[in-house]
Amino acid sequence: MKRTLTVCPYCGTGCMFYLVSDNGRLIGVEASSTHPVSRGGLCVKGWNAFAFVHHPDRLTTPLIRKNGTLQAATWDEALELVVERLAQVQQRHGRDALMFASSAKATNEENYLLMKLARAVFQTNNIDHCARLCHSSTVTGLAETFGSGAMTNAISCIDETDVIFVIGSNTTEQHPLIGSRIMNAVRSGTRLLVADNRRIRLARHADLHLRHRNGSDVPLLCGMMQVIIAEGLADREFIATRTENYEALAESVAPWTPERSAAETGLEAADIIAAARLYAGAKRAMIFYSMGITQHSHGVDNVRCIASLAMLTGNIGRPGTGVNPLRGQNNVQGGCDMGALPDLYSGYQKVSEPLHRQRFAAAWGVPALPDTPGLPLTRAMDAASDGKLFAMFIMGENPLLSDPDQHHARKALENLELLVVQDIFLTETAALAHIVLPAACYAEKEGTFTNTERRVQRVRKAVEPPGEARSDQDIICAIAQRAGYDGMTYADASEVMDEIATLTPHYGGISYERLDPHGIPWPCPTPDHPGTPILHQQRFTRGQGHFSPVSHRLPQEQPDADYPLVLTTGRTYFHWHTGTMTRRTHLLDREEPGSFLELHPDDATRLSIRHRERLLVISRRGSIQTEARVTSMVIPGVVFMPFHFAEGAANRLTNNVLDPESSIPEFKVCAVRLEKLP
Amino acid sequence: MKSLTPLQLEHFLAHLAERYELRVPILLPDGTRTIGSPDDGPLALLGGAVPGKPTAAFFPQQETIFTAIHGRLSQAPPPPKPLFILGFTATDLECLRFIDRFFADGIRDDLYFRLRQGAVVAGISGYCGAKGTLLPPAAGNCDLELFLAGDTWLVIPYSGTGTELAKELPNAATPEEAELFKCSIPTVPDGGETLLQAASALLCADRVPDSFWEELGERCIACTGCNLACPTCTCFGVQDWRSSTGVERSRTWDSCQLDGFMREASGHNPLGSEALRSRRRIHHKLAADPRKWGEISCFRCGRCDAACPTGIGMMAVAADLVARFG
Repeated sequence: MKRTLTVCPYCGTGCMFYLVSDNGRLIGVEASSTHPVSRGGLCVKGWNAFAFVHHPDRLTTPLIRKNGTLQAATWDEALELVVERLAQVQQRHGRDALMFASSAKATNEENYLLMKLARAVFQTNNIDHCARLCHSSTVTGLAETFGSGAMTNAISCIDETDVIFVIGSNTTEQHPLIGSRIMNAVRSGTRLLVADNRRIRLARHADLHLRHRNGSDVPLLCGMMQVIIAEGLADREFIATRTENYEALAESVAPWTPERSAAETGLEAADIIAAARLYAGAKRAMIFYSMGITQHSHGVDNVRCIASLAMLTGNIGRPGTGVNPLRGQNNVQGGCDMGALPDLYSGYQKVSEPLHRQRFAAAWGVPALPDTPGLPLTRAMDAASDGKLFAMFIMGENPLLSDPDQHHARKALENLELLVVQDIFLTETAALAHIVLPAACYAEKEGTFTNTERRVQRVRKAVEPPGEARSDQDIICAIAQRAGYDGMTYADASEVMDEIATLTPHYGGISYERLDPHGIPWPCPTPDHPGTPILHQQRFTRGQGHFSPVSHRLPQEQPDADYPLVLTTGRTYFHWHTGTMTRRTHLLDREEPGSFLELHPDDATRLSIRHRERLLVISRRGSIQTEARVTSMVIPGVVFMPFHFAEGAANRLTNNVLDPESSIPEFKVCAVRLEKLP
Repeated sequence: MKSLTPLQLEHFLAHLAERYELRVPILLPDGTRTIGSPDDGPLALLGGAVPGKPTAAFFPQQETIFTAIHGRLSQAPPPPKPLFILGFTATDLECLRFIDRFFADGIRDDLYFRLRQGAVVAGISGYCGAKGTLLPPAAGNCDLELFLAGDTWLVIPYSGTGTELAKELPNAATPEEAELFKCSIPTVPDGGETLLQAASALLCADRVPDSFWEELGERCIACTGCNLACPTCTCFGVQDWRSSTGVERSRTWDSCQLDGFMREASGHNPLGSEALRSRRRIHHKLAADPRKWGEISCFRCGRCDAACPTGIGMMAVAADLVARFG
């Protein structure tokens, strides 16, 4: 019987727990009673995080497509072929003809190594990961306004705030140990403002619940700011001493009277005024947001408004305040920190900056590094679909289910001359690959994940990987070596972190010895630095906080006579993304066994659709069958679907329109119609 | 009754390890305590009950029922050495007694007794609770009990096996030590027990309105931690993993706080809301089990209260319920 302290592989909350194993096999999970985030508890996914690891569907050997089918191969054959074919593609079509997709599920070390493989070995900046689909708007919007695109405060700040404003985050379902902490704070007297048109659990505990129209966050937030300025609730001293460009913001929000804001959002003007007074009237107020803010064609503008609202009221840089984007995946913060992004090295250092290039080139022992930013993941899929990108190396992602407009995603992947997928199961995407590389899962390797509050924590190996599966680190380094690069040999994962620390200022003081037991929040620039739970305390990362005015743009696709309903997509509590792990976890799969669509009772009555009736959902991009769930969770005119399920895949319907600045897709709004099955 | 210095206790445990698969309270790397192998962490006898459910030693979160590979059926053999488990508090031992009855009732649960049969269970009590507070003696429900009195561990045997093991120890307890132990045995129900009895009476008299459960349901995030931490929760689900070579059937802890727990194949669910499921959780322990087993099946270990992220563990709910409707 062995217990291994590690980090949960699901959401970005970063709970740590013990994996319990017996004779090399996982038999359960025990909570850590001392961890500062999980504090003796876990959510249902955490309690069951051991249960998929030994599933018989795990990939145990490399696979190579021969005569149209994937056939078992040796590592020698597979790795040789990967390197040979990647080189071929580059020779034929240029070095930027290939794309590397890294993974927010993999460790920091593995994200860093794939980034290094792409840039140092294959000399391309075409590397990105699924942060593109979730918080790229945050990285862009908060970098511009604050200088740092991460959660500003610690999760523990929830215990000492007066008002919590949750917008576009179903926190109790997607970050359960944060959502429950918010609920506890509310019971202790903290006031809660929720803006989300689904009647999520937090809304049932809120002082005020605003059910604004999908895509009307800018009018709502500008309306609140207008009230705050008009009623003299702004923090004039903070604005004067800590920020710049206030006058432009004030001018831009002045037309957003409560009445105009109400007209655009579908809310009552009085509620907008009440929300503004509630938030601005607090001594300490926190904002939490997630995909409801970011996944829009104007996601960056939404984030700018959030940042402005916090600065306008001086709610930043102190305990119990802050702008707190809740990062979705276990290591999406780390994936970004490690530079698995087309324009940035680790530590958000720009590839376009010659000094950064020279520093990384010198450290990696290569003469030069490419200087133009690469393709964002979503643009790469477009390029593949258009026949302008020829190979993809995908580590631990399943774009066939997770990307918008599945028809488009399939066309993109099928167009490729070479698709290599490295994963733990034969996902829908891996099934299309030419070469499949079997990887170790989180319980079978060493490394670190960085949680949503920037806490870098140790991931530890509890059991051996199945069959011949190898850790992503081993595989990436083996590819580098076969490609003739000798700068990627490491005794273990801690050596990779040591290299990261030398090149990444805010990880400069991080080493494995320092991470016991519960990690360190970055920035941690030196070995004696204790870490930084709260950002922007004396000054913003960029110096002064910058107010960025925005103009209102509607979601690209509006309901009309042919497609009269708004479809918004998301996740359920019991499943994780494309379900590769949770749908193989008995208890979780039993809870949500299949695709469904939430539909308001008024719409159900109008369309004569019964609860649990099978129906057809149709958008301009495709149609799927699913089951109706008639519920007042949604408002009339809006339907909701989770995107986990290959059968009834919501992303067959979604719209591949991107935010022009962050390239995030507009997952949250598209137009559909419902039809009864014949 | 025997007595041991801490060093003698360590020798005693080392000696037992020759005959038994030893499980003792240990300290894990981040300060969490658990009952585990002495090889996996330093001995941590002080600090009270461990946070995980101690009955997991006999009823682990997941275990294989059988495998059928190429048509050949096999089941896990019994462990090579019987278990010796130290670390059950008096309330933990009440829980163990209760689930021993449950698993033996009707069709005897052979998976449970594969580990339970022949195991030696040692209770822990005395001034080794949180911050040196008194853990009341169990005075039974185990093979032997270790009671910390000052710097001395008293060994009190109850079963034949416990008596045999204690015989091997050289030093008899002094009359003062024996008296201290005897005086520490509770003679009246504690506040927690009285509270649960009052809550149970309210439930049995149907004096708790639906609105209470609706309120409670709004606070349940279905983490299942209450069930998974509870030493008397015994529900499990059965699953099959099929592969090209055969099938593996296993069982995993289940939770009555999940929609799928009672959902029928038709889709109808007699426990189709958080309110009903929360009601069931409390009713089961405080109202249904007293009818079926003659006793409340919550023994106030407090683990569900510690594991619940939103503060609706058993003791918190009972206190609320009695305060509002008692």
